[in-house]
Amino acid sequence: MKNFDFALLGTRAVQYRLVIMLVAVAVFGGLSLDDFLTVNTLQSVLDRATVVGFLALGLTPVLIAGQIDLSIGSMMSMAGITTIFMQPVIGNVPAAAAGVAVGILIGAVNALMVVVFKINSLVATLATLLIFASLALLLTNSYPLSSEDPIFGLPLTADFLWILTPRSAIFLTAAVLMFVWLKLTPTGRNLYAVGSDAPAATSSGINANGYIATSFILSGFFAGLAGMMQSLSTAAGSPVAGAVMLIPAITAVVIGGTRLEGGRGSSLATLGGVLALGALTTALEYNGVPSYTQAIYTGLLLILLISLDRIVSGHGGASSRAQRSVRVAPRNTPLPRRNA
Amino acid sequence: MIARRNILVASAAATLLFAVAGCTAADSGTDSASGDAGSVEGKSICYVTLANSHPYVTPANEGAQAAADAAGVELTIVSEEFSAQTGAEQLNSCVSRGVDGILLWPADENSYLPGLLKAEQAGIPVVAIDTRAGDESMELIQSFAGADKYDQGKISAQQLDGALDSTGGIVVIAGQAGNGTEIARSGGFLDELESMGSGLEILATVNADFDQQKALVASRDLITKFGDQIKGVYAQDDTMAKGFLQALEESGLDFVPVVVGINGEAGAFDNIREGKQFSTILQPPFRNGELAIETLISVMKGETVPEMVPLENTIVDIDNVDDLEPAL
Amino acid sequence: MNQLVAPAKSLDKSKTPGALFSTLSIPIAILVLVVIGSVASPSFLTVNNLTNVLNANSAVGLIALGMTFVMVSGGLADLSVPANVAMGALVTLGAQESMGTGLAALMGLLVASMGGVVNGILIGYLRINPIIATLGTGSVLLGLSQLLVGGGIVYAQPSALSTFVKSSILGIPVFIWIFIFVALILHPLLARTSFGRWSLAVGGNYQAAQASAVPVRFTKAAAFAMTGFLAGLCGVLLALSNGQARPIIGTGYEFVAITAVVIGGTSVFGGNGSVLRTVGGVLITALIGNLIILLGFPSQATGLITGAIVLGAVGIDAYFRRKAGRL
Repeated sequence: MKNFDFALLGTRAVQYRLVIMLVAVAVFGGLSLDDFLTVNTLQSVLDRATVVGFLALGLTPVLIAGQIDLSIGSMMSMAGITTIFMQPVIGNVPAAAAGVAVGILIGAVNALMVVVFKINSLVATLATLLIFASLALLLTNSYPLSSEDPIFGLPLTADFLWILTPRSAIFLTAAVLMFVWLKLTPTGRNLYAVGSDAPAATSSGINANGYIATSFILSGFFAGLAGMMQSLSTAAGSPVAGAVMLIPAITAVVIGGTRLEGGRGSSLATLGGVLALGALTTALEYNGVPSYTQAIYTGLLLILLISLDRIVSGHGGASSRAQRSVRVAPRNTPLPRRNA
Repeated sequence: MIARRNILVASAAATLLFAVAGCTAADSGTDSASGDAGSVEGKSICYVTLANSHPYVTPANEGAQAAADAAGVELTIVSEEFSAQTGAEQLNSCVSRGVDGILLWPADENSYLPGLLKAEQAGIPVVAIDTRAGDESMELIQSFAGADKYDQGKISAQQLDGALDSTGGIVVIAGQAGNGTEIARSGGFLDELESMGSGLEILATVNADFDQQKALVASRDLITKFGDQIKGVYAQDDTMAKGFLQALEESGLDFVPVVVGINGEAGAFDNIREGKQFSTILQPPFRNGELAIETLISVMKGETVPEMVPLENTIVDIDNVDDLEPAL
Repeated sequence: MNQLVAPAKSLDKSKTPGALFSTLSIPIAILVLVVIGSVASPSFLTVNNLTNVLNANSAVGLIALGMTFVMVSGGLADLSVPANVAMGALVTLGAQESMGTGLAALMGLLVASMGGVVNGILIGYLRINPIIATLGTGSVLLGLSQLLVGGGIVYAQPSALSTFVKSSILGIPVFIWIFIFVALILHPLLARTSFGRWSLAVGGNYQAAQASAVPVRFTKAAAFAMTGFLAGLCGVLLALSNGQARPIIGTGYEFVAITAVVIGGTSVFGGNGSVLRTVGGVLITALIGNLIILLGFPSQATGLITGAIVLGAVGIDAYFRRKAGRL
């Protein structure tokens, strides 16, 4: 009984920490700045969250499936330079599609390495991170490409529906759609089962490899989307655009509450993590806090949250990951279905 | 092509102004453009800087802060950490915050265009510091204060070409591939060699990421491969020049190539005195920051400013090394 | 991440193709690279160049040696390496004036080791995922190092210690000697001592190790503390030999170290691996860098070639592993 209460408390704390953080940032920003609590700030935070948000969204199913994808930044760079390069060749919209397609293609390469060649995802995506970052530099000779049609992407960051921009609207929609998929459809729930315990999921008839492959391709799709949107809205395709994106994306996902151990997480939590981090960054920037001090705060926040999470959910002490995933799975996910 | 792009940009600006009809920031910007000439006290400036912790950029930031304090202007410094994409988003964020003026340190040529259009639409003046943005972007920037890294590349080419009588093999030790500084310093160098019709032959180009250790490791290999065929070295900063000289010393070979660096670091001054390094380029970072803010404030006051407010790129060599102070 | 922590099936020491591959792959790879080098470039097989190869990654190689223990004990990877390198370097040069070079270097080592100990506590005792924990500590420590020096470069003063670090003994640079020395300590530590057996056991099967009274938490924590110390040592050495340091000094070293360990064939699953193999991995990455310059490839291609070799090596290894598992 006591244990149950404790677990419930832990779950609540994890659920509400995003709200707590957002409120804290709003209070801090509101007190320290005259012009923080405005519609403009909200719009700007949402819009700035978009690119890292897409990457974080793509990372979410991968982490739920118990894998990791380090190559998201390189996929984003490749998608960006493809989009800008193809614009004059095949037209704006097909070029944007080509950018996303490149993301999907690299995601498929990752899936192939992990699922077919059985290479550990940390190693496989480290290798593709190196390969495609290098390829992006070689293809562009290290120079950013400038768009032949800089107007085309501008509406992406224009005003839309009071507090949004078209690209942030797409991002919010994508987060909600992914939530629906993960939580309300059988295939989404199966993904959690795969991440909690892949052999068990397989023996209950779920095609674990298929789900893992799908998660990598999704990650590629979202990284492609991020690269495409970023390049169009800045009218430039930079070979290093994604190089600095990996760490913020992972941080946002983890702050949201998705675990690297697999089997737990949600796209709305990721959305919350992205927004909390974005709002914090904006509040600190408006206050003129240097970037390295921001890094200290973000790092401390990350360690604090993950330690709390660990202490609250792991009060049984040194429980093994296997035990934990067995315990976590039934609580957070409906029983896996046998149709896959 | 440039001309065609300018037309595109102009029409893009028009598209934004009339079609999208942004309603958020228009009011906040207008008062700065048409405000009282004379006083800028209490006005706010947003400064998108390249980095917070960097030997050249940090003193420039301090200079900007000092000039802002002197004028009674509130300065908010945000750092893009060498990422043009981050900077572009920060620029948007500054515009939507409705500041009175923006100082921008471009990390690449192109990525700021949409944000600059928004600033123009909102009536917020923008001045660039240290590095020029692309031609289309510069149309939307009121002035540029700095010594320009592209010019530093050109000067380095002239130095090497002159010292070697336009003949012989050289190696280029470049910064981090795709980094804005690397792009500008490589571009200026290569363009100038070509336009001079220089006879210098580039034996190899390596990226050593502005890091002494990486430059040292790469230089050892270069020296092994080319030996005294290396008549000249273009290091894109003094730190990497130092790495090359270290490798040369280790090798024990007794040829003296012409080593050209950039930045005016204290170590480079020593090496120039000892005859190991041919020259470096000195630009005073603190003054750069001051100058940029002063220029922006003039724009905010409604004064006419030149398109470029030059900061001297001083060539430091054996003749003047004892008369100058290192930048960092 | 159960795929990442699944206990590895240790390879039979018999003559399966897999065992043969994992024994011979590194010498063969080195041989192939050497042959390519000697055919393609006349300057490759010179004493100077071979010294260059050994010297190129000797500093970052120290970190790879520590990272081997992290991976073997199932700790995945230490991403806080650049921060600890920067800390070691900046503290050494910052404290040099007030406390003398020797003490300052010790101070640098101490601070970086503290960073490693914090990682160890978070990962070994609090059992936080290593990727997240080291991402967090790395962010904090790198931020602190930048806060310490503001923006600048910290310059070294001339000292006997830095002259020594830059010198050569018997024609071989001190950097290489230090690398060999550390490798000679760490190889038997992993291969022959109880600590080494603990590390392998913790990474192979955490519960089983715990059940058989292995100090699992300490073992895991010690691997991170050791990596922190070695990252600090790398920073101290670089600062002394370069005569200056900036916070960016260790950027990317975590990936170079991980790559070297992985190319060496140590499994990210944990449970097997050897320091000697990592030495092989360090050599291979150094050879790649050397050949890229000697053959005149663009330096941007480094990632492409390294990544392809990682995929190839690990892919073939995983293939044999599965085949061995099925037999």
